[in-house]
Amino acid sequence: MARLFLSLLSGAIFGLGLAISGMTDTTKVQGWLDVFGHWDPTLAFVMGGAILPMAVAWQVSERMFHPVLGGAFPERPKREVGPNIVIGSVLFGMGWALAGLCPGPALASLSWGGVGGAVFLLAMLAGMLAAPPIRARIDRLTLKRSSMDIRALTPDYAVSPQIDPSDLAAIKAAGFTTIIDNRPDGEIPDSLQAERMRLAAEALGLTFVSNPVTPGMFTDQVIETQRKAVENSSGPVFAYCASGNRSSCVWALMNAGAKPLEELVGAPARFGYNLTPLVPMIEARARR
Amino acid sequence: MPIDWIYGFLGGLLIGGSATLFLLFNGRVMGVSGILGGLVDGTGWRDWAERAAFLAGTVALPAVVVPRLWATETHITDNYLVIIAAGLLVGVGTRLANGCTSGHGVCGISRLSLRGIVATVFYILAGGLMLAFMRHVLGVI
Repeated sequence: MARLFLSLLSGAIFGLGLAISGMTDTTKVQGWLDVFGHWDPTLAFVMGGAILPMAVAWQVSERMFHPVLGGAFPERPKREVGPNIVIGSVLFGMGWALAGLCPGPALASLSWGGVGGAVFLLAMLAGMLAAPPIRARIDRLTLKRSSMDIRALTPDYAVSPQIDPSDLAAIKAAGFTTIIDNRPDGEIPDSLQAERMRLAAEALGLTFVSNPVTPGMFTDQVIETQRKAVENSSGPVFAYCASGNRSSCVWALMNAGAKPLEELVGAPARFGYNLTPLVPMIEARARR
Repeated sequence: MPIDWIYGFLGGLLIGGSATLFLLFNGRVMGVSGILGGLVDGTGWRDWAERAAFLAGTVALPAVVVPRLWATETHITDNYLVIIAAGLLVGVGTRLANGCTSGHGVCGISRLSLRGIVATVFYILAGGLMLAFMRHVLGVI
């Protein structure tokens, strides 16, 4: 009950502040944006007046264990600025200029804003309803250009440097169905360990195989496990280690004799993996 | 018009004060597009009552108090095409950006959040350009 009352009170003071500040008058907002016409600086005073107490409030919140009514304070905002923030803010700014209203004043002036104000609010609600699919689309388009690097040795087998659980959606979107982790857990922080990856991958419907390779130790068991994982996969396989080098070596060894030596060394070389030291081992396996 | 600036500053203090209450008591960021948008797209239904109470306050107190004390003209354009376009842009844009003037502007900048600062720079720049184009080039608004 106290939470509801504080929400109501906070909303009420907010609405009153908007009305007093003049922000419910669209000419004030448009005047602030009208740098080439009759510029009106009022909005800067409103922003300044609002930021001052809030700057203190954030400091105070750092010294409190939890909010007065329980729960937790909001987490520190992430440092990264994604494309959604920039694209969204540009669209918002355009609409803000057109009508001179943003969401707060649109609500505060609802009771006296007439038909125009109500129509604005309805259109805004429709826009909010339309936003999630648009956001998903932007996410998909930008994920493919993320730092992740898919290096296809064949159309059905790609290698990559260490990935993060958040990369898995893009890997799935690129058509892979099996993920092979060739990196021993001892090399990596908790957040990237095989079990964490397995949970994230299986949640997306991907098959996950942990096949750790200690550098230089290409045992028969490692090669067999990799071969089985590839054979059992319903689609293209994505293998990763620290750099992608071990995943490439295991691939070359498991295909020894089945593919020409030039391809086994040449395909990884396109991505900078030098498998020449492995040639005697590949040739020995091919003779078996 | 310095009297407008003074009212602006006083109103701003109230806005910041309400954001302070919401943060220190409820532990919430006072961002209107987030509070409202979460109710619209379902992502905020878990605490719908708190959100609804905030929004009710925002609409109700000005409705009761303001018409008795101040002029209530919003001077919104009567071109409904412009109003609808503006509403759609504000709705989509604030949800994509995860915040508007209150969330990114007031709450973000006061916390020196990079995202809030970047968002505010972009919506003011885009707004300035849009206004210049629509008012001084096309003469629509």
